[in-house]
Formats: sequence, structure tokens, C-alpha cells
Amino acid sequence: MARTPDLLPGTLDLLILRTLQTEPLHGWAVSERIQQISEDVLQINQGSLYPALHRLEHQGCIEAEWKVSELGRRAKYYHLTPAGRRQLAAETREWERMAHAIGRVMKFV
Amino acid sequence: MSLNDLKLRIRALFRRKRVEEELDDELAFHIERETRKLVDQGVAPDEARRLAQARFGPTALAADECRDARGTALVDNTVRDIQYAWRTFRKAPLAAITIVATVAIGLGVVAVLFTVLNTLLFRKDQVPAVDELYAIQRTATDDREVAPLTRAALESVRADAQVFTRAYAAIPNVDLHVDGRTVAVTLVSGSFFDVVGVRPAMGRALDATDDAPGGGHAAAVLSDKGWTRRFDRDPNVLGRTIMVNGTPFEIVGLTPAGFRGLEVTAPDLWAPISQLGAFRPIDRGHEDTAAVEIIGRLRPGLATGSAEAQLSAWDANRLDALRAADAADRRATRVELQPRRGTVPDPWEAIALFTPLFVAFGLILLIGCANVANLLLARGVARQREVGIRLSLGASRRRIVRQLLTESVLLALAAAAGGYVISRAALEGAVSWMLSTMPLDLGDVNLGVPAADWRVALFLVLAAIAATAFFALLPALRATAIDPVRTLRGEFVRDARPGRTRNVLIALQAFASALLLISAAIFLRSALASAQYDPGMRTADTVLINLNNESKRAQMVSAVAADDVVAWHAAVRPQLLAPLRVAIANSGTITAPVTFKSVSGSYFDVLGIPIVRGRTFTPAERDEQPVAIVSETVARTLWPDGDGVGQTLRLEPDEGLRRPGGLLTVNPSAAADDAMTRVRAVTVVGVARDVPGFRVTDVKDAGVFLPTSADAAHTAIVARVKGDPTIARQTLVDHLSRIDPNTGLVITMRTVARLETFFLEIAFSISVLLGGLALVLTVSGLFSVLSYLVEQRTREIGVRMALGASARAVAQAMLGQTLRPVLVGLAAGALLSAALATLVLATPAGAMISKIVRVTDPVAYTGSLGLIVAACLLATWIPAARAAKVDPMRTLRQD
Repeated sequence: MARTPDLLPGTLDLLILRTLQTEPLHGWAVSERIQQISEDVLQINQGSLYPALHRLEHQGCIEAEWKVSELGRRAKYYHLTPAGRRQLAAETREWERMAHAIGRVMKFV
Repeated sequence: MSLNDLKLRIRALFRRKRVEEELDDELAFHIERETRKLVDQGVAPDEARRLAQARFGPTALAADECRDARGTALVDNTVRDIQYAWRTFRKAPLAAITIVATVAIGLGVVAVLFTVLNTLLFRKDQVPAVDELYAIQRTATDDREVAPLTRAALESVRADAQVFTRAYAAIPNVDLHVDGRTVAVTLVSGSFFDVVGVRPAMGRALDATDDAPGGGHAAAVLSDKGWTRRFDRDPNVLGRTIMVNGTPFEIVGLTPAGFRGLEVTAPDLWAPISQLGAFRPIDRGHEDTAAVEIIGRLRPGLATGSAEAQLSAWDANRLDALRAADAADRRATRVELQPRRGTVPDPWEAIALFTPLFVAFGLILLIGCANVANLLLARGVARQREVGIRLSLGASRRRIVRQLLTESVLLALAAAAGGYVISRAALEGAVSWMLSTMPLDLGDVNLGVPAADWRVALFLVLAAIAATAFFALLPALRATAIDPVRTLRGEFVRDARPGRTRNVLIALQAFASALLLISAAIFLRSALASAQYDPGMRTADTVLINLNNESKRAQMVSAVAADDVVAWHAAVRPQLLAPLRVAIANSGTITAPVTFKSVSGSYFDVLGIPIVRGRTFTPAERDEQPVAIVSETVARTLWPDGDGVGQTLRLEPDEGLRRPGGLLTVNPSAAADDAMTRVRAVTVVGVARDVPGFRVTDVKDAGVFLPTSADAAHTAIVARVKGDPTIARQTLVDHLSRIDPNTGLVITMRTVARLETFFLEIAFSISVLLGGLALVLTVSGLFSVLSYLVEQRTREIGVRMALGASARAVAQAMLGQTLRPVLVGLAAGALLSAALATLVLATPAGAMISKIVRVTDPVAYTGSLGLIVAACLLATWIPAARAAKVDPMRTLRQD
């Protein structure tokens, strides 16, 4: 497994919420999606994905449902709740603010 | 916590199995999906599965973290930890039993002490709003005696000081002797039951008519204890009578169980103060001037500070009005409020008394815990492989530490339960032992087994948890500080023999044993020395008889004189155990304060005190005769040149009333009538040998003896008896009880002498028990630790021997390793006890104590240290010898 840069603290939750914005996904698909979209730059430690999912579920940001998967066996699909959408919006704004700020610092210092 | 969260948590708790299955499913699906992806990319199926698992990492760890997120992890893990711990105990029951037993003994001895302290400090009386009750306490700021509060003061404080809403007066500890048994009585004013607000369980309470000055009723209210002790819980007790020095008192009421009349131990009965004369004949007619305590309910909202200020002003005004004291006396008095809650009035004194005991008893717990810590430490090493496997399977270090802790908490709770059982058994045993060894003639001493309540239970659990923190956390942290991979391979890496911790623990044990055993040896040596002590008066066959009922005096005296068991008798006033009054003796050229008492001529013969010069009193010389006998010391002081006989001596009242001392003040006011009230001129007819007296009970003989006879009021009798004094005493009590059931205290002088060593014997018994326990624990701990050590290091020893070390050198190395901390601990223990001894000697009380307790006895120090060294050598010798027998070839071939 290629060594990947550590994610910024708190960004894992943001990435999970973002991937779930369009459609319900199961855990493996979430990690796969993040990896694909980031062109393999971001590789989530698969072991720590599930605790994060369960935490978000407890916080009420996402909900789970058992559905039949592409493999033909049952899988746990997560989808965003209204609270999750609000949380995602808030975290996205915060992230953009940060990225903007860091970008400015990198440009001018 | 949101509603959603709660819903999920509840589901997780109550449908655990389902939730667990879902979790397993979810994680398994992930790995299957990842495998499929790899297979699709062209990886062989087996390889794909391995790779997928590797990418995911340890499944158990992920599952554990998911459980953490779930929020029921605490419950889940605890349940599993407990199950796991149970399996461990089942696997090694001996270790678990050893640990529980060791800690239970430690907790048990500490709980004994706490139970006693609990009754003294925390067990408030069952009285409504007990925290409002305060006693007025007047103390002198110098050495002078304070004029006591009287019933008049009660009226005055009610009328003039706005401090109490209601108040009563009490005279506690008025002891009555009925058929040779002690009945504890507290006399109270009529308002008592009204003020405390306790309704009788049966009959009626005492009221103002019972306590009418100059009249009143001979009525008494029983406590639950008195009902049990005197009347065998007779349901028809109301209307029965109890004889008090010739007056029948009717039982009119019974208080509920648990009410103690604001005292630490309840009296047997309460009677009105108006009846004082019946209880203390000497005070008949003085009911209004007798010393009383005044206790009241503080006005709500009044701070004690301002109440005390008000009371000081009240006291000053009152004394002015009475013209009873000069300005100097008033200035020297301080008025304070003392809480009255059925606990000891001065908690700090009790705490100061108990602190050294707690330290001594706590040392046992400490040693026990050190033993267990060492055992767990050793087991921790043995369990490193198990811990290593769990770590490599993905358990977090926190989980493992928690699991080990759970194990220890379980052990601690079992030990707390064991400690409770041990403390109850020890208390019952101690009280029955005290009662059986305590001389009978002290009256039946009122010792009950203190009850355990929720505070004792709480204390035990807290102590158990504190003990756990000490003995469990340490080994737990040690056991997990390992590298899983290398441990699995069987290599114990980091400090597999946690030597330093172990050495500190061993030193601690040796230190505590030394402290306790040195004390035991000191007490033993002191008790032996005390047994040889000569008080200067005959104790083997003499009996002291107090007579209380003056109306039956002539009958009683002739009964004593005519009794077959009495060989000789003499009169003495005040009675032998009472404190003596002081007069100023003036020889014409020299004045000196002297103690004095009145005796009949046979006094010196009966007690075996030689008259060194001159003669004793003749039977014709009685009260008021101008003759005296002086002690050698007084003779030497007043007439340094002559022998004293034939000289004239003036005895003058002592202006500064000195406070009387003494432990056995049987009847404090008895001496009052004897105070020298006028100047007397007497001729010295004889000089008596000095009597050193008793040290613990502080009984000294007088410097000046004046004549009296057994017919004179308030004299006690000392009798020389035939045969065994204990039997003779009982015979006398039986005969005298026929004349009047309320004899005064009748006590053999042998008992008085025995009190000298009794306290030392108790101190010795306790410290030798603790010291022995400490030594046994230390030695067994040393033995097991060293045995483990030898086992663990067999390989190293084998290598050393293969390299040419002799068996002797190996044994020596092993011995040296454990004996060094032992010696360090012993040195520290000896130094600390020597330092404490020096500290004790430096205090004012130390001078008195050091006369009886030889705190710096070198024999005690060397003896006990030698014993410990010998025991430790023995304990280490066996494992060390086993180490020396190690066969290098065999051990090297191992593994």
C-alpha cells in the first residue's frame, strides 16, 4: 500500500459526507469513490473508515439501510440525512475558507 | 446526546447480538468487495483475499473502534472483561485466593479502626435537628480551676442570654454500683426530653415536676441499653424499681433504641437532678451548687461566634452578680460552644489519638498490597506472552490495561467483602478478649462492639479501590509495556524483571515490619519492666472499699470488721484512687505546698508502709486531733536539719486551687469537703516511708497524713484480706450488698496495680499481632518473589554457571539482590522509629510516657531487627539454594 499523506484532522468526515451527497453508498464504495476522484492521492485507511461511518450515524448525519449490493449479497448503504446536509454545507464553507486562506499564504509569503 | 443517538445506543444495548452480526457482516462485505476488485484486476483469488485483508488492517481493531463509536463499548467491554477475568481466576485459583486473602486481612484491620473511629466521630445521635445542640464550655486560660456552672446558671442563661431557644442541665457519669455491677447514670433537668425532642418508646419522659428543686420524684427513664442490661428487656418494666443508695427509684419510661442522650455511649438510665442526693450522698442538699453541663438548642440563624460572644458577656455579668470571682479569675475564663451530637466533643483529639494507630494498621494493608503488587508483577511477566498475543491480534494497549484493571477491581471488591467479615470477627474477638482479661472489680465495663454502618461499607470500598490503584495499576502498566512481536517469539524484551519496582516494594515491607516489631518489642520490654515496679504499698492482698450510703455507714463498717476474710482494716479519706487536695505547710521557717489525706492509725500497717521514725496514730487520735504524720520527703523539705518528729506544723488553705488530675476520678466531688478551709496547727508524731504510687492511674500518696477513723463520714476502707483477694472481694461485695445493694466501688489493689501494666499489655498485644502479621506477609512475599525470580532467570543462571560461576557465587548473588532492599528498609524503619521516639520525648506528655514506656530501649531495637533479618534470610535461602542447583547444560538446551 502506497504511503499517503495523512488527512487533515476532521477532513475524513467531510469527505464521507461529500461522497454520500449524490447517492447512497456502502462503506467500500465510499473509500473507492474518494480514491478515484482524488486520482489515488487520497487513500483512506480502510480500517478507520468504519468507525467514522458509525460515528456519523450516531451523530445523525447519515442513516443506514440494508440493501442488496452489486455482489448479490446484502450490504449496508449509507445516505445523508437533512442534518447531514446542513453539516456538509457548514463544513464545506469552513473548508473553502481555510483553503482560500492557506492559498493566499502560499502565494504571498 | 441526540434522540437518534439514544435510539441507536438502546438498540445496541438490548439487541446486541443482532448489532454485532450486522457489524461483522458489514466488515466482511468490505473485504469481499475488495477481493473481488483485485480478482477483477487479475490477482489470483487467494492472493487477492490476503491483500484485501492486509489493506483493511486488523478486523478486530476496526470492530472495536466501531463499538467505541457506538457508545455501548463501556458496557460491552466490561462484561467481556469480567468474563475474561473470571476465566483467569478459574485458571489460577491459588493466586486469586492469595491476593484476596492478603488484601482482605489488610482491609480488615484498617476497617476495625475505622469502625471505632466512626462511632466516635460520625455516628450522630438519633435526635431531631441534632446539629443545633451545643454545650457551654468554660475553660481557664491558665492553670486555675474554673468555678463550675450550676443549675442557677441554667435559669440565668434562659433568662438573660438570647442564645438558646431551649436548654437543659445534665450531670453525666454518675456511676451507681448495684450488686457489684456498674450502672451508668446521667442526671438531667426536667427540660431534657423536651429539648432533645425524643418521645419515650414506652411510659413517660421526665418532666419539670420530677425535677422540682427541693422535691421532685424518685423516677428514672431507662435507655434501651439499660433495659437490656438491668431488666433483660422485661416488657412490664414500667413500675419496677431500682435501688439507689437506699432509695427506690421507679422506672417511668423507656427511650427508643438508638437514642443515646447525646453521649457516645448511652447511660443506662436518666434521673432528675433533684435526686442528686440519692446518687451522691455527699452532695445531698447541694443540688443547686453541684457542677452541671448546660446544653441547648442554638437559636436558628445565630452564628456560633456571636453566640459565644454573647455568652462571654453573660458569664461576666453573672459572675459579677454572684460576686463569686475576682477580676483576675474572670479574665482567665473563655466561653465556647461545643457541639453535642453523640460524638466525641473534641474530634481533633480523637483524630490525633487515632492517627498513629491508622498508620500502624495501614502498614499491614500496605505490606499486603506490596506483596500482591509483587505477585502480579511476577505474574505479569508470566502473562506477557498472553498480552503479546492479544496486542498482536489488534487489541489496543488501553483495552488490555483496562482488562487487567477490571481483574484487580474484582479482586479488590472480593477483598473488601472479606475485609468486612474479618473486621467484624476481629472486633467481636477483641471486645470479648478485653472483657475477659479486664479485672472484674472495675465493675462490668461498658464495652459494646461498635456497629458497622454505611460509612464503614463506603470506607471499605474506597480503601479497596485505593489499594487497587496501588497494587494493580503498576503491574498492569508493566505488563503491557512490551513489543508484541518479540514477546510472541518468547523474548521478553523490555525489563522482563522489573527489578527497581520490586526492590522498592521489598524495602517498603521491611520498613513497615521494622516499625511495627520495634514498637511491639518496646511495649513488651516496658510491660515486663512495669511488672517489676514497686508502688511502695502492699497490693497482693489488700482491697479498697468505698462506702456511699452514709446512713448505713456504722452497719457497713462493722460488717467489714467482722468479716472472716478481713484480717485488718483502716480508714482513708479521700479514697485511695481520688486526687488529693493541696495545703500550704509552714514549719515556721519553710513553707511548701503539700498533698494531704486523713487516715486511721492502722493505714500504714494495712498497706505495708513502714513508719521510719516516731509512731503511727493511736485509735484515740481521730478527726480534729492536732497530730500528723509526714512523708520522708516532706520531713526533709520542711526540716532539713532535724528529723521532724515532735515539730509543730501549720497547714494553711491553698489560695490557688490547683486542678486535680488522675485517670480514675471515681467521684470528683468527694474531695471537695476535704479541702483545707482553715488553718490547722499540728504536731508531727511520725515519719512514713515515701510511697511512689502508681504511674498510669496517677495514684500518689500524701505528704501529710491527718488522723481520722472509719466512723467519720466520707472515709473509705482499705482492708488486708485472707486468701485470694478476688474471692475475698466478691465475698465482701456479697455481704455488703445484703446491707445495701449500692456499695461503692470495691476493688482489689492488685487490680489497681495491674492497670499499671494493662495498657502496656494491650499495646503490646496489638503491636505484636500487627508486627507478626507484617513479618509473615513480608517473609511470604519475599519467598514467592524470589522463587519467581529464580524461575525466570534459570537460563541466565545456567549461562553464568556454564561460564564458570560457582554455585556459591550464584546463591550469593541471588541472596544479595533481595537482601539489599531488606536492609535498606530496616535501616529506614529503625531510623524513623528512633526519630519518632525522640519526638515523643520532646513533648510535655513524653516525660510521663517515657517513665513507663521505654521508647529508646536498645534491646528492643536490636532484638526485633535481628528477628526480621533472620526471617528474611530464611525466606530467601530456599529459592537461592534452588538457584545454586541449576544444571547449566539442561537449561542451555532448553528452547
